[in-house]
Amino acid sequence: MSALVLLSVVGVLLLYLGLFNQRASLAVTGVVGLAGAIIVIAAGWHLESPLFGAIVRFDGPARAFSLLMAGATVLLFLFGVDYYARMQRNVAEQYALMLFSLIGGILIVSFSNLVMLFLGIEVLSIPLYILAGGKRDSFRSGEAAFKYFVQGSYASGFLLMGLALVYGATGSFDLATIGSWSTDPAHGHDAIFLLGLLLTLAGLAFKLAAVPFHFWSPDVYEGSPTLITAFMSTVVKTGAFAAFHRLITALQLPDAVGTMLLTLTVLTLFLGNVVALRQTQFKRLMAYSSIAHTGFLLLALLGGDARSGDVLFYYLTAYTLATVGLFIILTLAKRAAQGDEHIRIFRGLFREQPWVAVAALLMLLSLAGIPFTAGFVAKYRVFLLGLSSGHLFTTLFAVAMALLGIYYYALVIREAFAPREQEGGTLAVAPLNLLVITLCGVGVVALAVWPVALP
Amino acid sequence: MEQGILTAIRTVPLDHYVLLSFLLFGIGAAGVALRRNTIIVLMCIELMFNSVNLLLAAFSAHHSDPRGQVFVFFIMLVAAAEVTVGLSILVMMKRIVDSVDVDQMNRLKG
Repeated sequence: MSALVLLSVVGVLLLYLGLFNQRASLAVTGVVGLAGAIIVIAAGWHLESPLFGAIVRFDGPARAFSLLMAGATVLLFLFGVDYYARMQRNVAEQYALMLFSLIGGILIVSFSNLVMLFLGIEVLSIPLYILAGGKRDSFRSGEAAFKYFVQGSYASGFLLMGLALVYGATGSFDLATIGSWSTDPAHGHDAIFLLGLLLTLAGLAFKLAAVPFHFWSPDVYEGSPTLITAFMSTVVKTGAFAAFHRLITALQLPDAVGTMLLTLTVLTLFLGNVVALRQTQFKRLMAYSSIAHTGFLLLALLGGDARSGDVLFYYLTAYTLATVGLFIILTLAKRAAQGDEHIRIFRGLFREQPWVAVAALLMLLSLAGIPFTAGFVAKYRVFLLGLSSGHLFTTLFAVAMALLGIYYYALVIREAFAPREQEGGTLAVAPLNLLVITLCGVGVVALAVWPVALP
Repeated sequence: MEQGILTAIRTVPLDHYVLLSFLLFGIGAAGVALRRNTIIVLMCIELMFNSVNLLLAAFSAHHSDPRGQVFVFFIMLVAAAEVTVGLSILVMMKRIVDSVDVDQMNRLKG
C-alpha cells in the first residue's frame, strides 16, 4: 500500500508544482517519487498492510511487474525533460496523469479481487484518454483521444458484463474463491460462467491490442504525442499482460476459453507481422510491431503454467527497453525532419550520431529477435514454452512470423545506415536523452547475457 | 439490506433480470457501433454500464450477498469519471472540426 500512497501523493504534489509554475522541478520530483516507490516495492516495506480489505496482494510477480512499470516510467520522465521543454502550458498535468495511470497499472498487476481488476483498468485508462489528447490544437491528437476513449469505454462495458456474469455464476469476486469454484468438475460446463469469462478476457484483450480487438491501436499510437505512445506500448502493455496472466493462471479454464486464446494468438501473430510489412510511417510500424509482439506474448500464455510468468516478465523487460529507446530516437529524428514520421527520416543517422545509430541498431535487432540480443533470448524462451505445452503447429507458425518480422525492422536499419542525399536539419541529442538511449541500447544486450527472473 | 426489498427483488425470477439486462446491453452496444452522433454514443456507453448495474444488483439479491451492490457504486463512480473525460474530449473535438459526427473524426488511416 505504501507505494500506492507515495505515488498518489507525488502526483498531487506535481499538480501543485504546476500551479506555482515550478517547471524545472517537475521531472526531478517525479523521478525522486518513482525512485522512492521502486525502493519501497523492492524492499517490500508495508506492502502487506490490508488497506483495501485485502483485495490487492503484492506477491512476487506483482512486485516484479510493478518495478518494471515504475522503471519504464522513470525512463520516460527523463525523456520528458527534453520532450516537454517546448511545451508552454500544462506540463505538470502530463507528469501527474502518467503517475496516476501507473497507479492503475500497479493495481491491475496485483489484484486478487475482480472489483480491483475493473477499478485498476479504469484508473489506468482514464488518465490515458486525457494524455492521448495532450496536444490540444492538433487534430490527430484529438482524434486519437476520441477513438481511444470510445473504444476503451466500449471494451470496459464488455469487461464489466463479463465480471457481472462471473459473479452471477460463482457468487464471489474473490479470485481464489472463483478459482476453487472453477476446479469443481460439476461447474465445468456452466454457460453463464463461460460467457462471463469470454467477455472478461475479450475486454482485457482490448488493452493488449490482440487481434480482433486491435482496431484502436494503430490510430491511437500514431495520433498520440510520442511520449504517450511510448507509455502506452510499455507500461500499459506490461500491466495488461500481467493482469491477463494473473487472471488465467488463477482459474481452471474451460476448453472454449483455450480455443479462444489459441485463435487470438494465431490471428494476432499473422495480422501484426503481415500488415507491418507495408508500413512506412514509423509510429504505425511500431504499432503493428507491438501487435506482433502481443502475439508472441500470448503464445507464452497458452501453456498457462508457472513458468509462463517468468518468460512474460523477461520478454516485456526486453520489449520495454527497446521500445522506449526507439521512440526517443524517433522524436529526435522527427524534430530534425520538421514533423515527418516516414522511416526515411532516419537516413544519415549513422553519419551524424554514430552512437545513437548503433543503439538504434541494437534495439531494432532485439525487437526482430536476432541472436545475442535480449529479444532473441525472449523469443527463444517463448518458443520453448510453446513446444513444451504441446502447441507444435502454433509455435512453428510463430517462428515463421518471427522470420517475416525481421524484414520490416531491417528496412529501418537500412535507412539509419544509408547516407543522406540532401542536407536536412541536424539531429541534436540532449545529454539526458543520450543517457536513456544508452541505457536502453546497452540494456538489451546486457539482458541477453544476464537474464532477469521473477522472484 | 432491508428484508422487504430483497423479497421484492426476488419475486421476479432471475432469468428475467438477465434477459432484460442483456437486451439493454445489446441496445447500448449496437448504438455505439451504429449511431453517428457522438453524444448518442456516450449515452449508449452509459446504457451498457447501467445494464451491468441492474444485473449485478439482481445477482446480489439472489445470492444474498451485498458485495455485488457495492460494486454497483464503484461502477457508477467510474462511469461518472469516464463521462467527464469523454465530454471534455468531445468539446475539444467540437472546437477543432465544428461537428459531433463520428465520421468527421476518422482521418488517421493506413
